[in-house]
Amino acid sequence: MMEIIMPIIGAVVFLILAPFLGGLLAGVDRILTARMQSRVGPPILQPFYDIGKLWHKEKAFSNPVEIIFTTAFLVLTAFSGAILFAGNNILLVVFCLALADTFLILAAYAANAPYSHVGAVRELISTMAAEPVLMLLAAGFFMVTGSFMVKDILTTSVPAIIYLPGIFLALFAVLTLKLRKSPFDISTSHHAHQELVKGVTASLSGKSLAKVEIAHWYETILFLAMMFLFFSGQPVIAAVVIIIAYLLEIVIDNVFPRITWKMTVKTIWTITIILGVINICIIAIFGGMFL
Amino acid sequence: MSILSTSDTMYTPEFISIMVLMLVPVFAAVLLALFKPDIIRNIVAGAASAVIIITSVFLAFTAWNTNKNITLLNADWIGTLLFVIEAAIALIILFLAFKYKKPLAIILALVQAGLLLFLEFSGLVGNYTGATIVLTNLSLIMVLIIGVIGTLVCVYALGYMKDYHEHQKDVPVRKRYFFALMFLFLAAMFGIVVSNNLMWLLAFWEVTTLCSFLLIGYSKTEEAVNNSFRAVWMNMIGGICFTAALIYILTISSDLISITNLLGYGNVAALTIPLALIAVAGLTKAAQMPFSTWLTGAMVAPTPVSALLHSSTMVKAGVYLLVVFAPLFSQTWVGIALALVGMFTFVATSVLAISQSNAKKVLAYSTIANLGLITACAGIGTPGAVMAAILLIIFHAAAKGLLFLCVGAVEHKIGSRDIEDMDGLLVRLPLLATMMVIGIAGMYLAPFGMLISKWAALEAFITAPAGFIFVILLAFGSAFTIFFWTKWLGKLFMRMGKPQAPAVKLHISEKLSVIIIGALAVLACVSFPTIIKYGINPYLKEIFGIIPGAELLSSDTLIMCGIMFAILAVLVIAAAFGSKSGKEIKPYLNGRAVDSDGKFLGSLGVYKEAKTSNYYLEDYCGEKSILKPSWLISIILIAAMFVLAFMGVML
Repeated sequence: MMEIIMPIIGAVVFLILAPFLGGLLAGVDRILTARMQSRVGPPILQPFYDIGKLWHKEKAFSNPVEIIFTTAFLVLTAFSGAILFAGNNILLVVFCLALADTFLILAAYAANAPYSHVGAVRELISTMAAEPVLMLLAAGFFMVTGSFMVKDILTTSVPAIIYLPGIFLALFAVLTLKLRKSPFDISTSHHAHQELVKGVTASLSGKSLAKVEIAHWYETILFLAMMFLFFSGQPVIAAVVIIIAYLLEIVIDNVFPRITWKMTVKTIWTITIILGVINICIIAIFGGMFL
Repeated sequence: MSILSTSDTMYTPEFISIMVLMLVPVFAAVLLALFKPDIIRNIVAGAASAVIIITSVFLAFTAWNTNKNITLLNADWIGTLLFVIEAAIALIILFLAFKYKKPLAIILALVQAGLLLFLEFSGLVGNYTGATIVLTNLSLIMVLIIGVIGTLVCVYALGYMKDYHEHQKDVPVRKRYFFALMFLFLAAMFGIVVSNNLMWLLAFWEVTTLCSFLLIGYSKTEEAVNNSFRAVWMNMIGGICFTAALIYILTISSDLISITNLLGYGNVAALTIPLALIAVAGLTKAAQMPFSTWLTGAMVAPTPVSALLHSSTMVKAGVYLLVVFAPLFSQTWVGIALALVGMFTFVATSVLAISQSNAKKVLAYSTIANLGLITACAGIGTPGAVMAAILLIIFHAAAKGLLFLCVGAVEHKIGSRDIEDMDGLLVRLPLLATMMVIGIAGMYLAPFGMLISKWAALEAFITAPAGFIFVILLAFGSAFTIFFWTKWLGKLFMRMGKPQAPAVKLHISEKLSVIIIGALAVLACVSFPTIIKYGINPYLKEIFGIIPGAELLSSDTLIMCGIMFAILAVLVIAAAFGSKSGKEIKPYLNGRAVDSDGKFLGSLGVYKEAKTSNYYLEDYCGEKSILKPSWLISIILIAAMFVLAFMGVML
């Protein structure tokens, strides 16, 4: 009985709490970023106020399909997280996220406007750059725990971080990309000074834009939860590492200038190959010795 | 005593069905070659197609899971007939090679003919008395693919060729020749997938080489002739290797000439050399690196030819052969080397596909990439990998067939096969674009067919020897795949400056084929657990004695896949019937003045159209920078495969 109820509880808790947590995190992020730039920054609940305002805007679009596409992005991102929190298959999480991203990209394409088009292509390149790390992450967990199921990964005796430090660091790099933080914020950013006016969402407004924002909160919590998987049985260490990781992301965001898409792919893939691929090779070759 | 008698009961329904599947297309081909009027062609092709589709479904239904063996007695004359056919093929190729002055083709045709003569008259071929035809579930799955998708492509061609000759005025109309070859192709494919006797299989193999050669050269333009000869010389290398493999096998024992006996042979270490030769035969037919250029060149042919070559025939014959011998590959290093060639091809051609804007070329590279993945699975050869390979064959046939038919029809309607010209296709050609979206989604997105297959492949690789290399390559290859498909998909959904829906009339034959294959593609995707459980697993049980336990099929995962399907279904319904009310605003151009058509005010006070185009990353992914190094690497890998074969190293 518990086997049926626990996954459902996990999924429901994620679906309800993640947006609040993600929104709060976004608020903290904006305050900290502002302080680093010697500004005061908005109130911590500003992200929620923003969504509230967007939600009551007039329904307007440059292509009606974007309503469905942004909805799909939100629903599928949330569902990816639900799969993870239900303790289900991590590969499915990766694939479902890629599907969700595809819908965001299609929404940007659909407008057929130069700025949103460039944003779409850049978002696509980011997705492409992130994909190998995520697949290797799933493969790495399988090699260490013998299963793709999150519930099995979480119950292994030795935390996966011991065997997969390279993959963990590669995931951290991808987190920068997925949080759309500088230097990898090629497809979108919160700051007005950039030339692409939030690139991928340039043509979205009102509820459509609000949905993308909420999806982004889900996505943030989802990726932080993926980091948690590396520390099975060590929730305190996991929490500390995740907080440090997020703070680092904010620092990185403020320290590094944005780089081009070419550099983004090169950087992410260099990191993937040096840390992720070698990590996988070592485990595969010497696996018998310490597993 | 009948001339053709089968060992148990004389004419079982399975035997009769196979005869129908082989003879009806041949008979139809003769009629199609004789009669010129369109009306007769439509009737003959339509009737033959109906018979083939019904018979293949019937055959699959009756022989499912029975692993039926059919032994033909007094069938020596068929062997002789097939030899005559092979000799005739060699002569035709020789004749054409002389006519068009292609020395390479002449040499290879002579070598092939010499080997065939040696094989026939050396006395190596004993009196083979084993099963001539074996119907495994794999054969039956192939029969369904050829019988349903292949036949529907032929039906589609009825309407397509009418338009083709209206568009290509300078190409001589040779429809009789064209349709006769298409149906002959189907007959040969049926022959390949049901034959257990490798001598027979070789004969049908050569027929497909000839048919593809002649079909690629259909338009007789210089490019078509050159590309058709490239196809034939590459495939003749495969044919020569295949023949050499048979000669080698026969020197071990004349009994080994059948697939079942080879698979049951104890001393696999003695078979590494013929296995490597068969691997090359499979690689050429499946257009793997370094033989990929024949398939990309084949797109000069009318689109139905491409659809047939890519989805259900020709290249599928190549991977079918490899999958059949997967249990042997799995025991040798030859298999690992073969798998590396396939996996490398998967990555290299996925990169190449990014640089192409010609829709048919993108499809061609994607075909080669997926065949590479199938080859890799066959080379690994574990039960899990074979499961992934068969899944890939099924889903690829449906999705790729659909995509080619769509691109062909779209090309005739918008006058271009360039993806850059397909913006807003969903508004301009709703039916074809919808089908195209189904095809593309089926090629790479969760939870559809190809992604499920890739997933199965990943699970198989991860537990295979040296599997981590394949996992890493799969991770990067998949990333490239996402890039080139998504940018195509994006084009289709673009908002148009002027939404136009020209009065487009699609021929009934084209419409019918596209809709049926589209429906089949969707059906195959949602029923993948059934396909695995009732189609593939019994085959694996028969061949390997075990069924792989894939997490993919655990109920937890299937429930999540089901929910994903449901979410997508609701979204599609919402997209189709949901309210589209709201204020339509002009695209955002960073504050530039935009007029009602979406044009922006340029600096000289003139309204200009805002144009966007996709990234093709020519410098990184172009043929110029990728092809040559890829040839080199794949040739080295194949050479390594032969070294391993000669050393006879086993896993």
